[in-house]
Amino acid sequence: MKNIDSKGHVTGKSIYLDDIPTIQGTLFGVIFDSPVAHGHIESIDYSKALALPGIQTILTSKEIPGENQIGGIFPDEELFAEEDVHFQGQPIALILAESEHIAFQARKLIEIKITEKEAIVDPREARKKNQLIFPPRTFSLGNTDSAWSQCAHIFEGQADTNGQEHLYIEMQGAYASPLENGNIRVSSSTQGPTAVQRTIAKVLGMGMHKIEVDVVRLGGGFGGKEDQATPWAVMAALGAHVLKKPVKVVLHRMDDMRMTGKRHPYSSDYKIGLHEDLKILAYEVIFHQNAGAAADLSPAVMERTLFHSTNSYFVPNVKATAYSCKTNLPPNTAFRGFGGPQGMFVIEAALVHAANELGISAHELQKKNLLQDGDEFPYGQIAADVGLTQIWSDMEAKFDIKGAEKRVSDFNSKNSDKKKGFSLQPIAFGISFTKTPMNQARALVHIYSDGSVGVSTGAVEMGQGVNTKMLQIAADMFSIDPSKVRLESTNTTRVANTSPTAASATADLNGKALQNACYALLTRLKKSAADHFGSAASDIQFKDEQVINSGKATDMTWNQLIDQAFLERVCLTENGHYATPIINFDKEKEKGHPFAYHVYGLALTEVTVDCIRGTYEFDSVKIVHDFGESMNLPVDIGQIEGGLVQGIGWMTMEELDYDKKGKLRSNSLSTYKIPDIYSVPKEVLIEALETEGAEQAILKSKAVGEPPLMYGLGAYFAIQNAVRAFNPDAQQTFDAPFTHEKVLMGLYQI
Amino acid sequence: MKIVFKINGKQVSMEVKPSLLLIDLIRDVLKLKGTKPGCLEGECGACSVIVDGEAINSCMYLAINVNGKEVSTIEGLTGTENPLHKVQDKMLEHGAVQCGFCTSGIVMTTKAYSDKCLEEGITPTREEVKKSLEGNLCRCTGYAKIIDAAEAVYKK
Repeated sequence: MKNIDSKGHVTGKSIYLDDIPTIQGTLFGVIFDSPVAHGHIESIDYSKALALPGIQTILTSKEIPGENQIGGIFPDEELFAEEDVHFQGQPIALILAESEHIAFQARKLIEIKITEKEAIVDPREARKKNQLIFPPRTFSLGNTDSAWSQCAHIFEGQADTNGQEHLYIEMQGAYASPLENGNIRVSSSTQGPTAVQRTIAKVLGMGMHKIEVDVVRLGGGFGGKEDQATPWAVMAALGAHVLKKPVKVVLHRMDDMRMTGKRHPYSSDYKIGLHEDLKILAYEVIFHQNAGAAADLSPAVMERTLFHSTNSYFVPNVKATAYSCKTNLPPNTAFRGFGGPQGMFVIEAALVHAANELGISAHELQKKNLLQDGDEFPYGQIAADVGLTQIWSDMEAKFDIKGAEKRVSDFNSKNSDKKKGFSLQPIAFGISFTKTPMNQARALVHIYSDGSVGVSTGAVEMGQGVNTKMLQIAADMFSIDPSKVRLESTNTTRVANTSPTAASATADLNGKALQNACYALLTRLKKSAADHFGSAASDIQFKDEQVINSGKATDMTWNQLIDQAFLERVCLTENGHYATPIINFDKEKEKGHPFAYHVYGLALTEVTVDCIRGTYEFDSVKIVHDFGESMNLPVDIGQIEGGLVQGIGWMTMEELDYDKKGKLRSNSLSTYKIPDIYSVPKEVLIEALETEGAEQAILKSKAVGEPPLMYGLGAYFAIQNAVRAFNPDAQQTFDAPFTHEKVLMGLYQI
Repeated sequence: MKIVFKINGKQVSMEVKPSLLLIDLIRDVLKLKGTKPGCLEGECGACSVIVDGEAINSCMYLAINVNGKEVSTIEGLTGTENPLHKVQDKMLEHGAVQCGFCTSGIVMTTKAYSDKCLEEGITPTREEVKKSLEGNLCRCTGYAKIIDAAEAVYKK
């Protein structure tokens, strides 16, 4: 089934936050934010701004009736800065005016005096100064100290990855309206409606029951609207609460880029030890996570880095330590992969380093060390149903790894101003929120008396097709035409206490809750039908809107059964609940079974580097992916193609640039480049691993949102492979993204 | 300033400020919300509309410049009773749509280019199809299916 929103999208009829018809009297909010990355506010003069015709008011921390606090994990982030500012773009006040244009004009008239303080932008410097968001954590397995003496080869180095701007094409925004009795309704472009609801309640000092949050769809999220859609929604709600008028806050692109956090930059040190037979014996890594000025989701992101520090490999002795370093950048946040890719990059760098030093192909090392069933992850979970060996041999059979290697080396021996490079990038990505309590979901299903069905879940549609998957589940279980099912908006009054749409787990969690709801309804309907036919409920089935009794079609339709059940006063509404079984994690011991399952895969990337210009083109990316049993292959393949390109963007062209004072220089689409139509590989081929699928996944169809992003890591190593073909003396540096400039430097480095 | 122009086939005459952007005229004055603001600096193409046959970024175009011209937005591509335009059909068929926020810009850009190709009797190559979309960014799909869809528009 195609994405059910597609027709609305291609006709321009789909409604996004900023398309909601404006209510008369709506005020428009523009944020006044800190011009510096670190400093003490001496004074602010709003008088000129307030005097501008059309300005309604300017809200600051003084107007907050509850707590001036939006921190999700730790209470360390003010909605509006009071005394000190900690990053450039930190909100200080909300200007409310009759039009956005007037509010922007007023912003220019605000006079602020700030005594600047020293800004820290480098995570290593923050660690030196003991500026940590929270204490470091270490995952360990075996004993690295005693393992080094058994290693035939030991390599040490540094591997860094820069941040990444989400660049959802739809900017952040929210629209709040006051209701009767002091209640507020908020439309928000958020991945986390409950987080928005909870935070508004806290800031306004009222119960969550007074706040309704509704989400129709997002024009892209990628993690950037998991926690960071909240501030604007809170500001809009605050305005609606104080002024009793509708308030809309939609960020413009440069404000959005300046004020919001990104994927965390990491700077890491590795030490890898190999046995004579090239098996990895020991691996030590220290991650410096650049968290920015507040915790946001950094603790959880850092945890996922640790969980993925050994990627797809078994290492018997591991010590992985991570520091969450507090700097004066906007609080960095969730981004597809959530710290996992940053962890995986480092061990890949370590393996490439080792292979280069040993004069062998990196893929030999990778293949030799692939994770097998029964291997232990550094966090105690035992690997099961690992598809990696099969995936690797599928890759060899279907896409001819040796052929690619030969093609590359033949090309390179014949060409001097162009060089090809290739890489293999295996992935193993854990599925579940690592905070166990978040692995729960609910779904509300109404069967209306005419046989049509309304479905509400906690899942937020942001292009990934989750609503399509939900509709498939309901239509299949009831065996009714999909046109009879409506997917409702995600609304906190219909489905409460939701986990954000994140961690790739949304279809699993909400889908299973939906299955539970449909199952309960089916049980009641079967009883109703069985009573009618004088048979047992177990004899009743539904097929194509017909009731089947003991294997034979009856003259009763789905609609007739619903009508009958309603008259019999059978409850036609059900709330399904699901909580992932098995999973657990003990933070004291840093051991447990945090993931319901893992997604595996392998990408073969080929690139051609122009050794005169430093430019490159990706010839192909060939992927063998573990879908489980995909419940919607077109949607899942779309996720792989999109995730891959987003990963390639992060590894190649997307260059986030803060200056030494913490000012964002890549602050618009003209200075921050995301992949355009020319940046994509000329050929992307995707093969599915044949597998029985994972029981914990919805309909055995594995999560697919985040894992493909990590195929993009291969882009970095493929380019490096080509650069080294041109200049074998190129220094061994691992510093993503590999921009054209860095390629050129690498090509001509002596 | 008074301007007179056609939008989606309908003649309109109105007073506008000289500084008004076409995107604001379309979205805020005419309430046609299918045209999307993405970057507001002419980089992403989400706000693409067609003016006298050319796809342009409506965020970089003054409303007064449509005086005497013909503007088409995504809403003008299909009537309520009409079947989808071929470009829309192909986008659907190829699953070239995820979050949808860049979609109307891509549809309008492709529509303008395909009209031009039709007029000149050209069947563009895949590279030319890509070139026609170089001004449109998509953050979800990785473009593969968008290129396939756009290319299919020219196949008989």
